[in-house]
Amino acid sequence: MNVALAILWKDLVSEWRSRDRVMAMLVFSILVAVVFYFALPMLRPEELSALAPGLLWTAYLFSALLGLNRSFALELENDALAGLALAPGNRGWIFLGKAAANWVLISIVQILTAGVFALFYGIDLVPALPGLATVVGLGTVGICAAGTLLAPMAVRTGFREVLLPVLLLPALFPILAGAVEGSGAAVAGRPIPFAALQLLLVTDGIYLIVAFLGFDYVLDE
Amino acid sequence: MSARLLSLQAVDKRYASVTALSGIELELGAGQGLAILGPNGAGKSTLLRIMAGLAHPTGGKVQFAEGAPQRSRVGYLGHATLLYPELTARENLVFAGRLYGVEDPGARADQLLADEGLSGVANRRARGFSRGMAQRLSIARARVHAPELLLLDEPFTGLDEPSAQRLSLRLEGLAHEGHALVLATHEIDRAARLAQTALVLVEGMVKRRVNAEEMSEPFLRTAYAEALEASP
Amino acid sequence: MNSNPEGHGNAQASIPSRLESRASRWRRPMGYLLAALGAAYAWSVMSAPIDSTQGIIQKILYIHPPLAYGAYLGFVITGVGGVLFLARQREDLDRLAVASAEVGVIFCTLMLVTGPIWARGTWGVWWSWDARLTVTLLLWFVYLAYLLLRSFSGSSPRTARFAAIYGVVGLVLIPLNYYVIEIFGSRSMHPENLERGSLGDGMGLPFLLGNLTLALAFFYLLILRWEVEAQRRLDDASTSSGA
Repeated sequence: MNVALAILWKDLVSEWRSRDRVMAMLVFSILVAVVFYFALPMLRPEELSALAPGLLWTAYLFSALLGLNRSFALELENDALAGLALAPGNRGWIFLGKAAANWVLISIVQILTAGVFALFYGIDLVPALPGLATVVGLGTVGICAAGTLLAPMAVRTGFREVLLPVLLLPALFPILAGAVEGSGAAVAGRPIPFAALQLLLVTDGIYLIVAFLGFDYVLDE
Repeated sequence: MSARLLSLQAVDKRYASVTALSGIELELGAGQGLAILGPNGAGKSTLLRIMAGLAHPTGGKVQFAEGAPQRSRVGYLGHATLLYPELTARENLVFAGRLYGVEDPGARADQLLADEGLSGVANRRARGFSRGMAQRLSIARARVHAPELLLLDEPFTGLDEPSAQRLSLRLEGLAHEGHALVLATHEIDRAARLAQTALVLVEGMVKRRVNAEEMSEPFLRTAYAEALEASP
Repeated sequence: MNSNPEGHGNAQASIPSRLESRASRWRRPMGYLLAALGAAYAWSVMSAPIDSTQGIIQKILYIHPPLAYGAYLGFVITGVGGVLFLARQREDLDRLAVASAEVGVIFCTLMLVTGPIWARGTWGVWWSWDARLTVTLLLWFVYLAYLLLRSFSGSSPRTARFAAIYGVVGLVLIPLNYYVIEIFGSRSMHPENLERGSLGDGMGLPFLLGNLTLALAFFYLLILRWEVEAQRRLDDASTSSGA
């Protein structure tokens, strides 16, 4: 537990000093929002706002990929990942620390991105906020759990950053299904369907367990 | 002979039928120095990583004397520094201390910085460190949990001569303080200075052993050359 | 003191392993049986009555569901083989996992090809984003990614471990994806109870033979691919130790 907290602290301090990861993810997300506008020129703004939850999740997903890759590319510098693997104790805690740091950083970007989407597509987010935050928070737990397990594998293959989307995206279908359903309801002012929350919680739980146990093998030589 | 710290029995590391290590036997007493010599690709790094608990052997046994589990008893120093460039020298050590569950990581960090002569740059980020300074910080990092055994994987690689010289002296000092050392290298002179015994590894197998009575630089040099010649 | 307490240290290193040799012995008889069964299957499909509403296209149903079983079986074996490889460090099970993923992907691909052909004839569209179809497509991507992961990172113990973990992710995804369908998949166009006696007269036999033949074909290909993988590892070993 202490190890997880140490890693969380280390990642957040490092990011606070350079800020490059959050900035890159944020700029990318805003660009995605702009690209949607140009890619869907036939739609009027109010039609776009109906699509917003799906578009928002698309932006979230791709910026998360960026952040997850970066999170472990940094660990490869100076072979720091081996330094983590050397530490005694259950390596599941290392996973948990990295995943928590990713969750915090990705969440910051998501909040800012949601603001940009609301501005661009004229959505009133304030009433939807509690519901949306719950759904996004839970969905991001799943993304970070699976992503923190798979990213250190991807970055250590010959193809580095290219491989993570191929590995991670098909694994996120249950998360995406629940998250889009839930976000849509939140933005439309409906109560969030219990089934969506249940799906997110179950998937989060399973991925957290698999990753906690599997991380030992990921860090082995 | 001091108490036995570590022994490897019939250690194999293979995948499919590629053999990285085969039938490695070795013993190391507490506070002793062992040099592992061999050309590139001989399996030196693999052997060290097995001793460090980073990799698992596919056969055989790695046994430490009674006490704490393996990973908390070894410190590892390679040519990569294992440091985080955005953290300061002190933060790097505090972080490492927390990874190892060190009692008071802050105090331990200050003490190590003083040991390695880095107190003056304690609050500077590791990013700006020269190769030699980073290597010293890296030694401090490897010692953060007061390990009995230091594993040194080609630590001189990439250092200029004065830095390498200083590192060599520092390692001798650590040996005097009672650390057991395992040094993987192909530099005979440094090996002879730091180790009481040596073994020559070629293609994953021990080709030659040099014991404490025989150990001297010229003898080691001849033994190494013979072992290389004997293997095709 | 025995240096190999579990005694599998050497058994696992030998290629082929005992398990592999034992499986290989079954391949040839299976091949003969497969040829005979395949002929009977082809005959029974040809002589089965032509469906009055769907026409000749309905005969795809004699091959499509059995392909699905093969695909899922392949993916489950990949996941379980991976777990056992991690737990027991037995490389032959890693080789089984690769072989199974590849055969599973072939079955899955054929299923994804035959499905739309049938759907075009019956539903009138090639692709429907039907819930089961979507989930299968996603699983197909998972195992394609599994094979990419293996081919991108070369043959090493690390690759095998990474692949095993990814195989486990794939394994938990199967029920999770079906759970998604359960919750949101109201739009499934797949017939619900084809398996339970809704087949018309004369359709039962070809359907049964289809299941048997493709199950046999699955295991035949699996063992064949397993042998190839063992041979490949041997070749890798001899080229790298000769260098």
